[in-house]
Amino acid sequence: MTNGDASDNGVEDIIIARDVHKWFGSFHALRGVSTTVKRAEKVVILGPSGSGKSTFIRTINRLEEHQRGEIIVDGITLSNDVRNIDAIRREVGMVFQQFNLFPHLTVKDNITLAPMKVRHIPRAEAEDTAMGLLERVGIPEQAEKYPAELSGGQQQRVAIARALAMQPRIMLFDEPTSALDPEMIKDVLDVMTELAQSGMTMLIVTHEVGFAREVADRVIMFDEGMIAEEAPPNEFFINPKSDRAKLFLSQILH
Amino acid sequence: MATRETTPGAILPPPRMTTGKVGWIRNNLFSSPSNGATTIIVAALTLYLLWLFVDWAFGTADWSVIPTLGGTLVLGQYNSDSVCPSNDCFWRPQASLLIAMTYFGILWAVAATTLVRGVALTTAFVAAAMALLPLPFDEMGMDVRLLLVANIPAVFLGRWLGRNTPVGSTRNLIIIAFVGFITVYFLLRGIEGVPGLYPVPSRFWGGLMLNILLAAGGITASLPIGIMLALGRRSNLPVVKMLCIGFIEFFRGVPLITLLFMSQTLVPLAFPRDFPLDEVTRAGIVITMFSAAYMAENIRGGLQALHRGQTEAARALGLPPWNTTTFITLPQALRNVVPAIVGQYISLYKDTTLVFIIGMLDILHMGSSFIGSNREFLPHSRELFLFIALVFWVFNYGMSYVSRRVERNLGVGER
Amino acid sequence: MADQPRGILTYQGIPVWRHAVLIQWALQIISAIAVVTLVVWFFSNVAFAINDRDIPFGWNFFGRSYGTPVPEHALPFNDSTDSYAYALLVAAVNTIILAVAGVILAIIVGTLIGIARLSPNWLLSRLSLVYVEFFRNVPLLVQLLFIFYFILVLPPITETYNLFDVLYINNAGIAMPQPTLSSGIAPGLGWVAAAGAGVFLGYTVYKLRNRREIVTGAVSYPLLTGIGTAVGIAAVAWVAIWAMAGDTPLGLSIPAPDDRFGRIEDGLRVRSGAIVMLVGLVMYTAAFIAEIVRAGIQSVSRGQTEAALAVGLKPVGVLRNVTFPQALRVIIPPLISQCLNLTKNSSLAPAVGFADLTNVGITMTQTAPAINIFLVIMLAYLAMSLAWSAVGNFYNWRTRIVGT
Repeated sequence: MTNGDASDNGVEDIIIARDVHKWFGSFHALRGVSTTVKRAEKVVILGPSGSGKSTFIRTINRLEEHQRGEIIVDGITLSNDVRNIDAIRREVGMVFQQFNLFPHLTVKDNITLAPMKVRHIPRAEAEDTAMGLLERVGIPEQAEKYPAELSGGQQQRVAIARALAMQPRIMLFDEPTSALDPEMIKDVLDVMTELAQSGMTMLIVTHEVGFAREVADRVIMFDEGMIAEEAPPNEFFINPKSDRAKLFLSQILH
Repeated sequence: MATRETTPGAILPPPRMTTGKVGWIRNNLFSSPSNGATTIIVAALTLYLLWLFVDWAFGTADWSVIPTLGGTLVLGQYNSDSVCPSNDCFWRPQASLLIAMTYFGILWAVAATTLVRGVALTTAFVAAAMALLPLPFDEMGMDVRLLLVANIPAVFLGRWLGRNTPVGSTRNLIIIAFVGFITVYFLLRGIEGVPGLYPVPSRFWGGLMLNILLAAGGITASLPIGIMLALGRRSNLPVVKMLCIGFIEFFRGVPLITLLFMSQTLVPLAFPRDFPLDEVTRAGIVITMFSAAYMAENIRGGLQALHRGQTEAARALGLPPWNTTTFITLPQALRNVVPAIVGQYISLYKDTTLVFIIGMLDILHMGSSFIGSNREFLPHSRELFLFIALVFWVFNYGMSYVSRRVERNLGVGER
Repeated sequence: MADQPRGILTYQGIPVWRHAVLIQWALQIISAIAVVTLVVWFFSNVAFAINDRDIPFGWNFFGRSYGTPVPEHALPFNDSTDSYAYALLVAAVNTIILAVAGVILAIIVGTLIGIARLSPNWLLSRLSLVYVEFFRNVPLLVQLLFIFYFILVLPPITETYNLFDVLYINNAGIAMPQPTLSSGIAPGLGWVAAAGAGVFLGYTVYKLRNRREIVTGAVSYPLLTGIGTAVGIAAVAWVAIWAMAGDTPLGLSIPAPDDRFGRIEDGLRVRSGAIVMLVGLVMYTAAFIAEIVRAGIQSVSRGQTEAALAVGLKPVGVLRNVTFPQALRVIIPPLISQCLNLTKNSSLAPAVGFADLTNVGITMTQTAPAINIFLVIMLAYLAMSLAWSAVGNFYNWRTRIVGT
């Protein structure tokens, strides 16, 4: 239902980033990031904390403003034009480390809020979609509950359903499993794997190496605000080229 | 396919437009068209109001009303001919201030926190700075000025005492505070027949001195009373709990002014005619009780916010309930509500002005009765009341500023 | 404890002074006795003193006619015939009107300043900070006296400021136009009724369209059409009644100076005391409300805003659907306590001569027993406080967050 190839602007390179720079005050957080993501591609982004990987995916839907360079999402250039920003945010779904569900709304209302307010979808239809999505992520029985009544894993699955409800072409995942208890991680990764198999374009910041190996088409490693290495997962995990990647892998793979 | 404009990985300075003075102005004042328009409109309005104010303050305004009132704003009629015939009573409030300063110095040495040091030093230096007021010497003599300057040595004397003598123990501090209050009371009231201590009945204590006295008493007493009320309200003894709830809710539910009126009409009836409980003391007690009720609610908030685990851990260690409260829960709760407590102190100090309505001679009474009896100053009443407002503002803003610094240092605000 | 002797002073085999339950009971009984003794002592002394010192006391004064004017009165008041009890009621209504008007205005001003504090515009945010820090650190009474003397120094009525011949400002107060039923009660009330119906209909239209928008997703501008309906009906009714009655449904009483006596006649004349109280209370309380609003909005975490933006809501939608509903929960409880404070602070009116409950009470003490009057006044304020608490409790009950 949310396959990227359903309708499109005929662009094969769905995300193009050219020489993206970002400063926090005088700290140079992104130092010339250039990469291209193809439609239906799954890209896993790795790197030590503070390497700019989260900042980079947050520039893609303008949660952070880049100050130099160019980002083109599905043929739309990201600029100060509010119309472009709104359009891109409708195209791009995002899942956060801290879930960020709206605590004052029920699970179902969390999911239907944006489709009703932004896409003006009738309530009955939005609720049908929501229930469908909740079934897809495996928790249809929680629809009427409030976020605080759910476990972390359930909350994160609601967050995924909430993002999917806008029928995005691209999904961004910002460390979706880092705040979860170990036994809940699998539930969330299962949902993400299923989503990957359905053909969604995905950018995933994560430390889950197993997931990266299984799902990713390509692994990008960030270090000090730059892309340190970019390779298919087998190549990257078995035979990393740069010393930086070798060191990093030795740390996370024990 | 990307066209490289820069060497990848080079650490570059941010674009000129986002940092430095230009960047700051762009980001904070002109980040968007609507922001820029706001800046221009607000700036124009501010400048216009500022111009109106400056034009008034340095043009039409006549500030002479303040030196004309001079000492009466500070002491009321305390040193006037009718109350103190030889006009030599001024040193007694000043000596009281020196005692208070010495005590602050001791506290500074003992508590060693920014809050206490800030309060001690600021008060001492502000008092000393008063000595430099450009008043003629026949209105403010050299003796008065020297006694004001003496506040600075007094605070350091206290600090020295606190460090090098055993006055700084909790028990001694309480004893000294108690003795200090009694000394100040008799110093101000005077003792019949003792030379230099000509009796001045408390109804003639006035001016800013009265506000400060009421506030000092209230600040000292309302915290312990508030703590007891808060603990009582959380007690598992239903009778004690109900009594505390009743007390707190009653004092929070009625305006202070009605309580003050009751303190002047109803309360004296409960005591014998010659009972030494004068109007000022009664007003002080009522203001303290009123403040204590609010204080209790602040402290209760702090206690409720504490994690249950703290009490349980203390009890598991074998601490009896009373020790658990005094050494574990209360210190944490108090630390967490420092801003609220300081806020309540500020309220209390502001509330001391209400005694004006029940006819006491506080700073507002001195101001408005002066305007009332010298109609030629009526056009300049704005200057007078703006000055009084500033007197309160400096003190209160100083307190809240210091408390916010403390809050930041303790990391209280980060939770 | 087997070697413990069993005797009269033991209960369940434990000496009474070590029995946890008995200690609790003993403490309770002792504290209860202490308090009861204190209260009895206090009031018996008072009762004795009232007799002994011939202090006036009693409730007979209630029915007597008051015989003193009440300067401001929203209810009709005739000072030669109306009773003390009725005068107190009139004064209480004055207090309530002042408190309600003050609360409404203070919330509006305070919210604006609180939002301005969070503005990305540095100048605006600094300016509102200056406002907050000034007004909340100066005693309200000083502010009231400042405004009081500020108005007192304005020109007298004979030299009144005159804005377009409709608004007069002088040291006695303000006079402004006021709608009246000058063209007859029937057309006037008829139009008011029609306008009321229009507002109701407009609200219904808004509700219906809103619901339809939710159900079908079609955009139909519910707020615009709702307001349009209300204004349209009011306007049509105005023209229709004008045509039928030959005169506008409501007249407008415009104040005008009476040159002979140096007074201003007609219009709505607000005496300076009321203006001082309203302006002072609003400016003072707004400073506190601004801080509450700021803290409330800041309490909603950044992640909430980001998530709302990420699902595609526009900034206005983020504020309306996500930030504000959550901030409100944090804002309302302290806001209620500010409303309560404002109500209690209105008792400073005696200092500036507005006829509120306290002021009228103080005046009454010259001709009636002070203790009784103040007991009544305290009860009235307690009732108002309870009313505010009830509002707060009702809100808390309505908006619990489930699961937190």
